[in-house]
Amino acid sequence: MSAEKMSKKIQKWIELEEEAKRIRRVMADWNFIEKQPPRIKEALKYYVEKGDIRRASLLAGMNVEEFRELLRKAKIPVIV
Amino acid sequence: MPAGNPLTKEDIEEAKKIRKAMADWNFIEKQPPRIKEALKYYIETGDMYVASRIANLTIEEFNEIRIKARIPNVA
Amino acid sequence: MLHEFAIADTCFLIDWARYRRRDILFKLFKTVFVPEAVLREVVSENTISWISRWLAKGGLALYTEDPSEIEEARKLVEKSRRIPHIIPVDLPEALCLIIGKRRNYIVLTENRGALMAVDFLEEVNNVTVWRSLEILVKAIEKEILSIDCNDPEKILKEYMNDTLHIFPRRDYNRVVRWMHELCQRRK
Repeated sequence: MSAEKMSKKIQKWIELEEEAKRIRRVMADWNFIEKQPPRIKEALKYYVEKGDIRRASLLAGMNVEEFRELLRKAKIPVIV
Repeated sequence: MPAGNPLTKEDIEEAKKIRKAMADWNFIEKQPPRIKEALKYYIETGDMYVASRIANLTIEEFNEIRIKARIPNVA
Repeated sequence: MLHEFAIADTCFLIDWARYRRRDILFKLFKTVFVPEAVLREVVSENTISWISRWLAKGGLALYTEDPSEIEEARKLVEKSRRIPHIIPVDLPEALCLIIGKRRNYIVLTENRGALMAVDFLEEVNNVTVWRSLEILVKAIEKEILSIDCNDPEKILKEYMNDTLHIFPRRDYNRVVRWMHELCQRRK
């Protein structure tokens, strides 16, 4: 892939990610997040910022599905 | 030695009926979700390999649970 | 039936299993495969119950990965980690992509890493990847799902509400426009 094509694709994904992050930040239940134990709280915050469920669930020490349930409780949407 | 008769749809249904009738449903319902679903799957299909994958157990481990659940292995 | 086979990853299944019309999947595909690596990750009673029921009925089938597929998937994982700014693909998703490539299955995923891998990595850029959005669109096209032309967005909203999964704005708007056009044509 040419550098220019790569750069355009990266830009596209950055824009998608920025939009998704904005929505996650707005919709999240920050009261719920702040009440969580430190590891869980940081994992949720990481997910809000990055949208990477695998890394976030590892941070939380949880399986992916368990973490997905936690996202629902925290009202953080998956945006894909 | 003569070849065995091929399995018919009736044989499969008969085997399922036997597994359903003999199973200890009290025991099954008390199991954690994956084990419960695996036992139910096994009753429906008689497929121990897939059942063991659903349960996240080895075949041998699943077989032990199958016995505890009184589900026969219908040949 | 639109397509024969698909292969589903964890991120797809754990959301799709919560959707009230989840069984439409089996009107679109003859069989949806679930790799063993993916099945291992499912923990909730709702999801495992749905999966095992459809394994028994034959709509879902277990896929036992072979060592060469796992090795190729590991290489894909490594390669994805070399590209800056993208979410790397993880092994269960990479496996689905490799199996999809080798066997011409449609890959069902909601994982950003997998979607990025298809966009950036030559090895898998011919793999057809569907999210739940593409499934819903196909189901509407094939009239497996009916649009309420008084409220065409209802179908998408149902899915989003059931799963707390939002479609990206551009994709959502594009599909809504298409549904409006469909309604116009049907008048």
